[in-house]
Amino acid sequence: MSRAVSAVLEVSHATKSFPGVVALDDVTFEVRANEVVGLIGENGAGKSTLLKVLTGVYPLDEGEVLVNGESARLRGPRDAFDHGVAMVFQEQSVLITLSVAENIFLGREAEFTRGGVLLKAKMHAAARVELQKVRLDVDPATSCADLTFAQRQMVEIAKALSLDSRIDGDIVVLLDEPTSVLEAKEIELLFEIVRDLRDRAAFIFISHRLDEVLAVSDRVYVMRDGAIVGEMASADATTEKMHELMVGRALQHEYYRENRQGEPGEEIALSVSGLAAAGFTDVSLALRKGEILGIAGVVGSGREDLARALAGLAPISAGEVSVNGRPVRLTSPSDAVGAGIGYVPRERKVEGIVAGASVVENMTMASIDDFISLGIIRHGRERKVAQSWIDRLRIRTPSTETMVGSLSGGNQQKMVLSKWQIAGSSIMVLDHPTRGVDVGAKEDVYELIRDMTDQGLSIILLGDTLEELIGLSHKILVMRDGRITATFDAPVGAKPEQIELITHMV
Amino acid sequence: MPAKWKTELVRFIPLITLLGLVALVATIEPSFVRFSTLTVLVSDTMTLFLMASGATFVILMGGIDLSVQAVASMTSVVVAALLPELGVLAVPVAVAAGLIAGAAGGISHTLLRIPSFISTLAVSGVVTTAAFLFSNERSINISGETRDAHLAWMVGEFAGVQAEIWVGLILLLVLLFVQIWTPIGRFCRIIGAGEQAAIASGIRVDRIKVYAFMLSGATAGFAGVMMAARLGSGSPTLANEFLLPSIAAIIVGGTALTGGVGSVWRTFIGALIIAVVRIGMTFVGVSVFAQQIVFGLVLVLAVAVTIDRSKILIVK
Repeated sequence: MSRAVSAVLEVSHATKSFPGVVALDDVTFEVRANEVVGLIGENGAGKSTLLKVLTGVYPLDEGEVLVNGESARLRGPRDAFDHGVAMVFQEQSVLITLSVAENIFLGREAEFTRGGVLLKAKMHAAARVELQKVRLDVDPATSCADLTFAQRQMVEIAKALSLDSRIDGDIVVLLDEPTSVLEAKEIELLFEIVRDLRDRAAFIFISHRLDEVLAVSDRVYVMRDGAIVGEMASADATTEKMHELMVGRALQHEYYRENRQGEPGEEIALSVSGLAAAGFTDVSLALRKGEILGIAGVVGSGREDLARALAGLAPISAGEVSVNGRPVRLTSPSDAVGAGIGYVPRERKVEGIVAGASVVENMTMASIDDFISLGIIRHGRERKVAQSWIDRLRIRTPSTETMVGSLSGGNQQKMVLSKWQIAGSSIMVLDHPTRGVDVGAKEDVYELIRDMTDQGLSIILLGDTLEELIGLSHKILVMRDGRITATFDAPVGAKPEQIELITHMV
Repeated sequence: MPAKWKTELVRFIPLITLLGLVALVATIEPSFVRFSTLTVLVSDTMTLFLMASGATFVILMGGIDLSVQAVASMTSVVVAALLPELGVLAVPVAVAAGLIAGAAGGISHTLLRIPSFISTLAVSGVVTTAAFLFSNERSINISGETRDAHLAWMVGEFAGVQAEIWVGLILLLVLLFVQIWTPIGRFCRIIGAGEQAAIASGIRVDRIKVYAFMLSGATAGFAGVMMAARLGSGSPTLANEFLLPSIAAIIVGGTALTGGVGSVWRTFIGALIIAVVRIGMTFVGVSVFAQQIVFGLVLVLAVAVTIDRSKILIVK
């Protein structure tokens, strides 16, 4: 058949810009029938944007999307679905209050309706067929709330594959980081299913785990800074080669300012023993003054829960925390702030900044009491301090009164960091501090992190990438399933390899 | 529409609307723009402004206070009953009663994590019943002498202008001070604009919320005192028709129902808009009851214009 070599789904010379960022830069990409294509790149490389273009969420500025060789204007996920493109979301979109069958055929109820009445038996029978494809042995009437995380992921995949029975041509299933919530055994099963199903569908497999991508794909695309920087058959690829393409630079030491990695002091700034909360248990660690302690782990490893517990945002069920030798109770964020712990959250727009408030208001938010005398906020003093930090961190903002929502991601992040420095925090919990920050501003953030440790601040770092984590940290803890599984020293010149960490992560 | 341009426009629409409405009524009835007519209008509006002024902070925070009319009715009874005995001290007692009612709404809202519209609706029921019990289901008259002795500062005249206007302006200044210069005022707005970031920054958000509801209760209580003073009596249903207009005054003034954007001075303008619309309708001959229909429509329109849709994807 000639169709076997032609492209089912294609993007041709696609360009997409957002204010201040070129997210896709002349990208050409194709998926052939019955093919599994891997797509790799660091966070911010443009993978998500490309997916959103393929599912019709973003229109292109330039270039086009072709389905079965014909130019198609996809107007949204639903429209893409009707064109045979289905997405399995990274953050699961299964509605847990509905049954398995209802989820699989969500939005397609009309096919199982007669005279306005939903024929459940018919829907369940059809669902059973779909469930078989993904080898999920559950009753279609089961509520998704009763399924495990992995099972829900399979339901999601079954939902995508259900397109098969509706579309004449080939279907393409986009798997966005499908393995991040799965256990090793489940990942193996998923790969088997993908291999099984490739005579019915083509797959795009997105992951930042290079070995996984190589294991399951026929061909791999590497993205960096919005462009495709490499395309190769998996048989010819090695993880080293892909990694080099992905990162695009050999001199990573300079990038992370490793020359500025000093020797931490002897004093213990933060000590945690036997700490437990939802998501992790029995975590003990000691953070020295001026030290950057990196925590590695996949989604669900508990490292984010640990960060939130230290910030007072999640209730602690057991264990002790001391700051500078003094035990502290962290029952609320204000306790944490009072103890000198500052939290730079992963979701900057939700927990880091108040977009509708001014730069100065945001900067003094964690330390407003210092700017109040006789019950009155001293605007002048506030503005002076804010301006000095704007100058010091080179935050690009028209004035101290500008609404923070109008600043770029990098400048917002610098502002969040200055908020905690103004508050006099001695310990910073940085949860993905460079997420959504463009490349140039990332370096500023790294510089800033080094500045902070020079001043004797101590840092718990959850890096956006493993490379970043290794490059910045003095010491690295690896977490898996809510426990610390390994500890690595990471002095300059003797940094651990990513693969060493990964073996303890999964 | 660019966001910045929109906020700028929203900021001035209320003032432009007010001037436009005044001009419109003036073309129908030229005597309307006489100083004496206007001061009567403004002084009549002050009870509404008082009632809406504190509630502005609650809406600024993204909550709502549905108990202001009940609290005002209740304090009208309290002040009317206590005035003969306590004299002018009855006023702080009435305001304190309002403050306590506000605190009840705020504390149940934050402690039990229930929506503020439910907690304040419940408080409204409790307060109304309390007022009925306290007054034996009757209105309580304030004699002319008592009123002149203790409440002249509120309903008399000063420097040729009705005292209500002075009281309203002083309250406006006090609340503007609270809004701009105190942490409560600032954080009400910040909570409305981004509550989670405020929490993560260590702000004691629940405490600020309770303060806002207390402020709202206190000013509503003060409004009840002014109503009783003007009408010469207190009654458990005195302010019943005021809930819709007071929320309308806040929203028409340009404080977003979603919180984060707004000001007390806007509520001042908003209250005047409501008053001019009312007068205008009276001139045109719309019945008092039909006027509620217009306020309902105005409220819906104002919310539609000021609401920040980026903040709420799904409206429930």
